[in-house]
Amino acid sequence: MNPLQALEQYIDDIYTCNRTRCGFCREECPVYRVEGYETYSCRGKMLVARGLLEGTLQPDEEMARMADECLLCGYCAARCALHNVEIITALREALAQAGFQAPKHHANTNQILTEGYLFPRTSAIRREGTTPLYLGCLYQSKPAEVKTILSVLEKAGFDPLITDEVCCGYVVEATGDAEGFARAQARFQQVYAPYADQEILTLCPTCTITLRDKYGLRVKPAIVAVAEGIGDLRLEPVSMTATYHDPCHLGRMLGVFEEPREIIRALGINLVEMEHNRTFSTCCGGGGGVTAVNPKLSAEIAKNRVRDALAVGAETIITVCPTCTPTLLRGAGRLANEVDKFVDVLDLWQLLDKALTR
Amino acid sequence: MPTETHIQRAFEDLQPIFGNRVTISPMHRMAYSRDWSPRHRSAQDLPDLVVVPHTTDEVVQLVQVALRYNLPVVPFAGGTGMGGGVAAWRGGIMVETKGLNQILELDLDNLSVTVGAGITVWTLNEHLARHNLWFPHQPESKRACTIGACIGCDNDSTFGIRYGKILENLTNLVLVTGQGEAVRLGHRKASFTSTGYKLMELVVGSEGTLGIVTEATLRVFPLPQTRQVRGYLLRSLNEGAKALERLLAAGLAIDSAHMNDRERLHFYTHSYREKYHREPEVPDWAEAILFISWAGDPDVVEFSMDKTTRILREEYGAEMVREQEMVDGWWDSKHRLEFIPFKQKWPDSQRVKKFGAADLGLPIGRLDKAYARFREIAAKWHQDILGMTVYNEAPNKATASISFAVFVDDSTEENIRNFYEYVREMSQMAVEMEGTMSSYIGDGDRLGGFNALEHGPSLEYMKQVKALFDPAGIMNPGKKFDTRWLR
Repeated sequence: MNPLQALEQYIDDIYTCNRTRCGFCREECPVYRVEGYETYSCRGKMLVARGLLEGTLQPDEEMARMADECLLCGYCAARCALHNVEIITALREALAQAGFQAPKHHANTNQILTEGYLFPRTSAIRREGTTPLYLGCLYQSKPAEVKTILSVLEKAGFDPLITDEVCCGYVVEATGDAEGFARAQARFQQVYAPYADQEILTLCPTCTITLRDKYGLRVKPAIVAVAEGIGDLRLEPVSMTATYHDPCHLGRMLGVFEEPREIIRALGINLVEMEHNRTFSTCCGGGGGVTAVNPKLSAEIAKNRVRDALAVGAETIITVCPTCTPTLLRGAGRLANEVDKFVDVLDLWQLLDKALTR
Repeated sequence: MPTETHIQRAFEDLQPIFGNRVTISPMHRMAYSRDWSPRHRSAQDLPDLVVVPHTTDEVVQLVQVALRYNLPVVPFAGGTGMGGGVAAWRGGIMVETKGLNQILELDLDNLSVTVGAGITVWTLNEHLARHNLWFPHQPESKRACTIGACIGCDNDSTFGIRYGKILENLTNLVLVTGQGEAVRLGHRKASFTSTGYKLMELVVGSEGTLGIVTEATLRVFPLPQTRQVRGYLLRSLNEGAKALERLLAAGLAIDSAHMNDRERLHFYTHSYREKYHREPEVPDWAEAILFISWAGDPDVVEFSMDKTTRILREEYGAEMVREQEMVDGWWDSKHRLEFIPFKQKWPDSQRVKKFGAADLGLPIGRLDKAYARFREIAAKWHQDILGMTVYNEAPNKATASISFAVFVDDSTEENIRNFYEYVREMSQMAVEMEGTMSSYIGDGDRLGGFNALEHGPSLEYMKQVKALFDPAGIMNPGKKFDTRWLR
């Protein structure tokens, strides 16, 4: 197979970026902010992609590292009219086809394709119920967090059904293995076929996007379902000044901006907004598999996001994503060593559970 | 061109200073291989090295290394220039200036801010807004364009008619010259000086040919409470310029004023039709649209808007654009860079052909004549007309900094050559009309040498100025005094 085939379908977009060079994608790209070279911005990657297509550049490990250090967070796409995230995913695929997939990504892909899930787990979490709830690999590996979420959902009147789960395959596709993703898809479809006509509640924003866009399923983030009935719930007020971090997939890609904020306000929290919020929020540093290949970069990006919170006087960052919460917490811990101020990071489910039980 | 040995030695000398902030990797060099200027779609100008300095001292050290091996030094900022100013067509060291992005001092008492030259205009304004301040030099590329680029390119600003271009509000800067020394030029935080020679002014528009600007001190302003924008349809471009001068004579403080020709007007009405599925009410006689904004306290803005509308209607027979959504959409996409109203995201408008422009500065009474010649010259060189926009770039007077924009087909070298023939002929027209060849793009790799037509014997003095700052000729060579395109 021609390793560049994945990129070739985007050739018009790539040349369009080359002739435009507006650079509106660059300044707030979280990776570019840390790495400093134009190459790490989407505009720079488009020139690299052109170089590959025209044969003036050859695939190599350095290029694969650069492509793997993209968060696939979609900030550039929000500032642009092109298929930026898809092009960078195709660039990864082209590099993987040419034999330059990161060993860590290769191992993760194998784990998913062999075991059906990404992260180690003691046992599969299941629950009998009526409303399908898809946890995803990350939550399947976090039984304590799931217990909290189920507690909130039950108090809010839901009866979640958690069936045997297999990975949605996002990581396989995002790290450049298109053929492996086709296999992951086939398996997922087999397991989830009985729920194809039902609305499925979801927890992980990344899985939500994948279920909607790659499987055509009717999905609703569980936090949205809770927000819809927030007025009927009895909540103990929480006293704090906090900011809300929009997870990229939940916010920019699914358009869920206001529902988490409505819950935060219902909790009586003094909500302050960071400079970059909603559509133009910046990534926590955990997207696109970056943590797997360059944890140091991921932490630096997380620190920058925590700095954004500090700049607006927030004591706490609230978010609602199984990737964002631990990533930001790592960043907050490391930044505290530098600036002697710790910004706490809390998951909205955790806050809700406490407020509902008092 | 630099030799392989010199490049390798320079790299070895730079590594202990910059670590992983210096590279000779083909991938990174490729990412710095072009700007927004018209050239063949596969064109690339590869620098030999890329360096990302964080301090003035690091820039001094890299220029000293460049001097040691006689390597060109090319500063790179937003990369949105339309004149090839950052094209490293003689190779050398590409200096990514965005690492110099610190806010060094905000002096609230003196309404002054000192910044690293790599900060973008957008980011600076985000910081200033927290203190209810703003910096009004705002090119349309402000999300990517840096303060250093504004100085180096002397580009245009949305708010030029009230605040001028960057020089108006630049009080000092630090330049690392081609001699490898950092010198502070200008007048500290004072707005002007009568002592010495005005060396800071020489740097504005010098396009990195004298040195690299690493730091700048700027006068900033309180944010206005409100801003309103309106559009007026006029019977001719000359009439628009006269009307604008009349508004200023009336004592109105206009915040921005941009005038567009028929083609541009049709572009906006087309976008409106597409979005709202309604026909905008534009009379047949309309030859130009003048967009005006006012900013300040709400009652003053309200009064200014009414007074403007009255003068334009009663004295010039102008009509205010009734479709305010069209005006707001234009403002949002051009100046707030919010693209949603008309989905005029830059790339979508350049999927087939790209923007290119001749950017002439003309006396204000020659607009209609220039418009007619623009159409003839564009047709002669097979350029599709996008339109003519007249920007006003000096405080409190009508001026004509004009974009004569065309769509350039970048699929063949011949088409690109035709575009530059178009620029050549338009530039000749500017000199004939007692104007200037460039009012906001700069010479870049287009006009250098050819601009003797405009400057005459004074070009020799300019070369001596260049030699004083850059005796080895390493600072952004191939610009200002040399051209790849116009003969």
